[in-house]
Formats: sequence, structure tokens, C-alpha cells
Amino acid sequence: MLRESHSAIIARNERWQGEATTEPFEAGWASEAVFFLRALAAEGPTGEGRAHVQISPDGIRWVDEGTSAAVPDAAEGIAVLRVAHFGSWLRLRVTLPAGATLTPIVTLALKA
Amino acid sequence: MTVTLQDLRLADPRLSRFEPMRRIICFDDFDRGYCGWTQLVGNYEHTLDSMTPSYAAHTHPQLATVSHWDAGTHGGVDGTYALKIATRPKRGIRSTAIKRLTFRQAGPIRLEFYFTFKPEATELRLSETDVRSVGFLYDLQTGHEQDGLRVMPHIRFLNAEDGRHIQRWQYKDETTPLRAIGTEGKTATHDHLAPFGWKDIPGGEQKLCYNEIPTKINWHYMRFDFDLAAMRMIEMQCNDRRYDLAGIPSIVIPAMRNLWCMLNLVFFAEAETDKRVFLYIDSVCLSGEF
Repeated sequence: MLRESHSAIIARNERWQGEATTEPFEAGWASEAVFFLRALAAEGPTGEGRAHVQISPDGIRWVDEGTSAAVPDAAEGIAVLRVAHFGSWLRLRVTLPAGATLTPIVTLALKA
Repeated sequence: MTVTLQDLRLADPRLSRFEPMRRIICFDDFDRGYCGWTQLVGNYEHTLDSMTPSYAAHTHPQLATVSHWDAGTHGGVDGTYALKIATRPKRGIRSTAIKRLTFRQAGPIRLEFYFTFKPEATELRLSETDVRSVGFLYDLQTGHEQDGLRVMPHIRFLNAEDGRHIQRWQYKDETTPLRAIGTEGKTATHDHLAPFGWKDIPGGEQKLCYNEIPTKINWHYMRFDFDLAAMRMIEMQCNDRRYDLAGIPSIVIPAMRNLWCMLNLVFFAEAETDKRVFLYIDSVCLSGEF
């Protein structure tokens, strides 16, 4: 059997300010994951923001996994966050400074 | 002893829980992966801002183990994984999953699947009225030598509305007006799942096994027969109940220039409260009489 592989779009064309999280995504079948956080548009000091991978025991309660990256500072910038050993659920938490608005598209690339 | 096609299928545990027509068009067992089921993205041109907001709210389907905080992994009918359609936590919002095919024979087809649904278990109470509905639809268009129609049979199980546990099958034969997208005259959209125009299927009340806490699920069998030649519903069955659909209309609109012989399958879920709701599909068997 070929390894299962799937790209999920878990956020698209939302307007993020302050703190934002993606919807919970269940992917216990996958052993590795890469979040690609691409800026469709970036206004203000988005580059001072951080993106954090979060994991969960139940899809309801969340903790930081420890992997983080700077948020893109301009349109078409892409942040990359790689994780493994993440259990069954994943999401992305993004914090942005005052005056920053990010319009993201987030691709979660998963592989068994 | 003559071995029949039915004998062979009954001897196969993967297929013996289905009653397929002669040819299996696809058999989607989510223990093998996504099997072509994906996110239903709304139409757009030049900018994603042109997408209808109710489509933009759709989430990406997941391969789920049906796991819960109190009892762990529930699993599927015969394996670990099921397809999960999850809404966002907002009253009235919906989510979908879609599989896109075309048909080669305009005749009877049969959709069978196993399903269950629950709200997100964020409260220590049954929460049986937090799921508004779950349902399925075909998005079909005739071949270009047929009548030039786009036909969309919609069926939903109205579980709850305004706090009442209703449990009734419904259909829909109305959609919104077409809205042009962009400037090139090539793309349009309509919101066929917009929350209006749902009508009761005669005799469509059904008390589905719901169980007693929000983390216990039971799987239900569903069969839906449709004739692609007449573009009419025939019959459906959920668990022990059968429904004659011969007089039940579909949404019908003029054909579009680039959708000939389209055979799209969609599952959807609608939230009744500000809580995520989940529709789980264990396996899907689409078959045709050809």
C-alpha cells in the first residue's frame, strides 16, 4: 500500500486579528504533518506575530505543542511548521500585535 | 451449485452489509483513506471574496476515529476510521463533503452508506437537540443530448429545530436565484442548501437510535435509489423503514455550460446551537443498474 497523503485547507480567506485559531482537525492516521501558513494579504506589523501548533486529547481542550514560527510579514509570505507525534488532533493558534490583520490560507499537509 | 453475484457479495464482509445494484461504481471504505471525498469550496473568480459566505464556512472533511474525552476511540462499523463532516460552532451554520464523478449510463443508481451524528461533547448532558440536521444530495446534470437540466435531489433528517427534537425526513425543491461570479461570464453560483424550502416527506417521521450520552453513537444504514434517465427519486430506506419517493421532486434548474453528465455526491450537517456538530460516514457504496 502507498502511504496515505492528504492536503487539507483548514483556513481560507478569513480576517485574523489579535488571537485566532483554526478549526480542530482530526488526523490520528498521520504520523507527520506540515502547516503551510500563506498570507493572502498582510496589513500592519503581521511579521511580529507568532504561529503555534496546538494538540489536544479530545479536540476540545488544547495545549501548545512547542513548534512555532513567525507569521509572514507580507502577502505571499509562507510560514512552515513541521510536527510529528501529535496524537489525534491538530490546530494552529496565531497571535498578532495590535494593528495587524492577516488574511491567511492554511494548508495542512499530512502523511501516514 | 451455481454461484450468483449476490452470493459472492454476501460472502464478502465488506459488501454483505450493502445491497448494491449490478455494477458497483465506487465503494468507499474510509479505512483505505479519503476515497475522493473532499471539501466543497464555493465558486469564485479573480478574488476569494466573491465566494458565497455559506460556502466559505464549509470545513475540510476529516478521517476520524470517533474519539471522545470520556471513553476514548469509538471507531467505525468494521474498522477504525470514518469520514467526519464538522461544522463550525455557530447556530444555523452548515458543513459538507463532496465526491465528484460523472455518469456513463443514464439509468437507476443506488447510494448506500452507514452514518451517525452527534454534537461536540462540550457539555455533560445528552444534547440531542444541538444537531439541526444531517443529509445528503446529488448534484446532477443531464448529458448534453438529454433535456438540458441540472437536477439536485436533496434529503435531510431534520433532527431538531428551535429546541424541539423533531426527527423527520425532509426534501427540498427550491434554491436561490443564480448569481454571476466575477466578470468573465463563465461562473455562477446558487445556494441550494440555503435554509429555506424544506418540506416533509409524507410519513417521514423516524425515531433513530440516539443513545444516552453525547459520546455514545450507533450506526444507521441508508439507501437512496434514483433514476438518472427520468431524473426522478424512486425510494429510500433508513434502517427498518422504507419511503416511497416517486412523487418527491428535486431542485431543477437549467443546465450549465460545463457540467454535462455530472454526478456529484454531497453529505452535509447543520448546527442548531453554537456548538460544532459532526456527521460521520463509515462507508459508502454507489452502484448502478448497468
